[in-house]
Amino acid sequence: MSCHLPSNKSKNGKSNKNTINIALAGNPNVGKSVIFNQLTGLSQTIGNWPGKTVEKMEGYLDFLGYHFNIVDLPGIYSLSTYSLEEIVSREYVVSDDVDLIINVIDATNLERNLFFTFQLLELKIPMILAINQMDLLRKRNLDLDFKELEKIFKLPVLPLVAVHGTGVHQLLEEAIELVVYRHPHSHYMRRRSKASSHHGHHYYRVEHIHERSDPKVNIQKTFEFPNLFEITNFGKEVELKISVLIENIDRYTQKFSSCNYPSRFLAIKLLENDSEVLKIFTENQEGSRIIELSKGYREQLEELHGEDINTIISSEIYNKIKKVVDFVLITKAKKNVKRTTVSDFIDHLTTHSIFGYIILLLVIFGIYFFTFSIGDFLGGLLDDRFTIWSNFIHANFGENNIWVKIIWDGGLGGLFGAIGGVLVYVIPFFLVIEILQDSGYLPRAAFLMDRVMHSLGVHGKTIIPMILGFGCNVPACAGCRIMETEREKKISVALTSLIPCAATMTVVLGLVGRYLGFYWILILFIINFTVIFIVGKLLNKTLPGQCTELIMEMHEYRVPNFKVIIKQTWVRSKEFIFKALPIIIILGIVLEILLIFNALEPINTILYPVTFLWLGLPSITGVFLIYGILRKELTLVLLSVLANSLNSSLIVLLSPVQMIVFSLVTMLYIPCFATIILIAKQTNWKYAAQIAILEVGLAILIGGIIRFGFLIFSGF
Amino acid sequence: MVSIDILYKGLNMKMLQKSIQNKENQANGTPLVKCLTECEKGEEVVVLRVNAGRNAKTRLANLGVVPGVKITKTKNAPFKGPLEIIVKGSALVIGRGLASKIIVECNRACKN
Repeated sequence: MSCHLPSNKSKNGKSNKNTINIALAGNPNVGKSVIFNQLTGLSQTIGNWPGKTVEKMEGYLDFLGYHFNIVDLPGIYSLSTYSLEEIVSREYVVSDDVDLIINVIDATNLERNLFFTFQLLELKIPMILAINQMDLLRKRNLDLDFKELEKIFKLPVLPLVAVHGTGVHQLLEEAIELVVYRHPHSHYMRRRSKASSHHGHHYYRVEHIHERSDPKVNIQKTFEFPNLFEITNFGKEVELKISVLIENIDRYTQKFSSCNYPSRFLAIKLLENDSEVLKIFTENQEGSRIIELSKGYREQLEELHGEDINTIISSEIYNKIKKVVDFVLITKAKKNVKRTTVSDFIDHLTTHSIFGYIILLLVIFGIYFFTFSIGDFLGGLLDDRFTIWSNFIHANFGENNIWVKIIWDGGLGGLFGAIGGVLVYVIPFFLVIEILQDSGYLPRAAFLMDRVMHSLGVHGKTIIPMILGFGCNVPACAGCRIMETEREKKISVALTSLIPCAATMTVVLGLVGRYLGFYWILILFIINFTVIFIVGKLLNKTLPGQCTELIMEMHEYRVPNFKVIIKQTWVRSKEFIFKALPIIIILGIVLEILLIFNALEPINTILYPVTFLWLGLPSITGVFLIYGILRKELTLVLLSVLANSLNSSLIVLLSPVQMIVFSLVTMLYIPCFATIILIAKQTNWKYAAQIAILEVGLAILIGGIIRFGFLIFSGF
Repeated sequence: MVSIDILYKGLNMKMLQKSIQNKENQANGTPLVKCLTECEKGEEVVVLRVNAGRNAKTRLANLGVVPGVKITKTKNAPFKGPLEIIVKGSALVIGRGLASKIIVECNRACKN
């Protein structure tokens, strides 16, 4: 629901008198995150918007005696309802929490960036335009007339080169100036006066409604909002209808007072048939009447222009922007000659019909190799440490002490397992993702794979989390949030969870690779990808809805910003450490308790028909497979432990067929526990359970088929 | 070449006349109205109409693909995959299914 009750921010101790809340908004890839990093440093936290699967980046800094809370909104192109990110962003921006928007604009792509600016203007929030990448623009012998821009928008407009940090602090000075001195009726000032007076919450709420609903009151002498009618004029016919709608909305202001959107914004969105705004209006009778009215208007306008309303309005905005850009863009030299840059060359190579795919394979191999080699190295070090400490503890407190077992073997063992088995893979992996994302490679992969992915019911973007899945499924599933619709998210997480991750690969390499050779690894991979294909097809058939088409911006390549990459890697790892590790530790304790009471012994018996009779594996593997849910490579680790204790080797313990079946089952049978949690976060628990069950079923089915296939063939 | 019937769907009179005109041009071997997928690599064209669903259409409009705008097709993905266009200075990748619903007109200034 797009309505916000005024949230009482002062509950958060820090945010009272001198706090300024800033939202960073802008298109994707305009350098927003660089600015955010420079402003907030290491104070950032990463989380989700309440109840949504959209990432929320927050940070703070203190500057000139003010405390700035900065929220980095997701990069979006407009304030429609195309994706969840757009809805979340616009709801947040109009909430009482925001004093000021900093709209980051890419100077080299002015027209499209200003489209979003025009939409933000409609929200009537104090705003600063930060024009980034001015250095690139000047390199092209172009410049901007900032004075004219300020005049046109009646907003502070600042040049910025965020990668060098130029202009970032002027932003804050301008923010203070704008919020504190020039706009005395901002949320900020209201909070201030509230802190110093005894008026209750209610009083300010009323004042707030009044202010927002009447534009005349809203425009202060000291701070002037741009005349929207002048700037964002949609043409006579459209404006006429908008003004009638505004009148109607204003008449029943009390009815829609629970939302913070200005009437004009509501009117435009009503015309555009915006589903979220319609929800606000369907709540009462007057609203329904206004909806009817807007529907009539929409039909009239569409009839008149022979186009649908969104196209009409977008065209009008783009026409305006063209005029603005023509006016403010200064060409210094004669026409600049376009030359092929290194970026163009790499772009050509990575989207080439042959080399493109070769590079894609190399990238996947690179991710796997990097994650695996660093993770394996660090994990090995940690495991050695833990074994030494373990022996020490066992020697001192007795191996069979129940508390030692629960706390040490279970809790700390789980912790070390999580650090040594998961975290050491996750951190290098985050590093690779950030490099890939920052350089701009991933959209190229989507471009190449779009056709293939379409046959699985999703568009090319799905390949991005899937590529990441080769490193670790856990963050890769979280990465599925880039998919626009619920349906695509569901298919994406399912496909991603089936990608063999670095941990799974240890099992395959350690068992099949070591004893049977590369040839069999290839076969296992082919089976794995066939399964992915089948699951994709299956979900495509069963999930309601249709496959949407790919619409994606292809950014130019650029040299990754080292600082941003390191900070992002740290922020993401921090989130993983605090959110996923506790769960893993608790699970470790639970498993240990179950082991103490021999509760797992029956599992072997229960699983006996499946493991022994159907798959032909030793029945002890039942417990190993259960452990594998926690960490996939545990299946192999436990198998080796068993082999050691029996003074034999794996090759004696398992026949070649058993090895293949065991590896295959490990590859497919279930996403690891952390992955399941993330699937549930992206979709819901029911779906996560369904996926888990589906994968277990497939693993058992295919494992059995292979086993019996071997039996039959060897029989001949 | 898209069949002219598809083009008529939802076109207003002005465009209809244009299409008829184009049909005549076509007889002379110079088709002027076509869908984006039929364009050559590197060809600059003007968008006439987007015949897609509401969501995709809004998205494209927000990104600057509106009737009257000049676009350049720059890339074709292999295996009948998506294609890349330059619109207002930025590169946009559009799935082939959607691209086939974007009706464009060849700029008169360009030779073919």
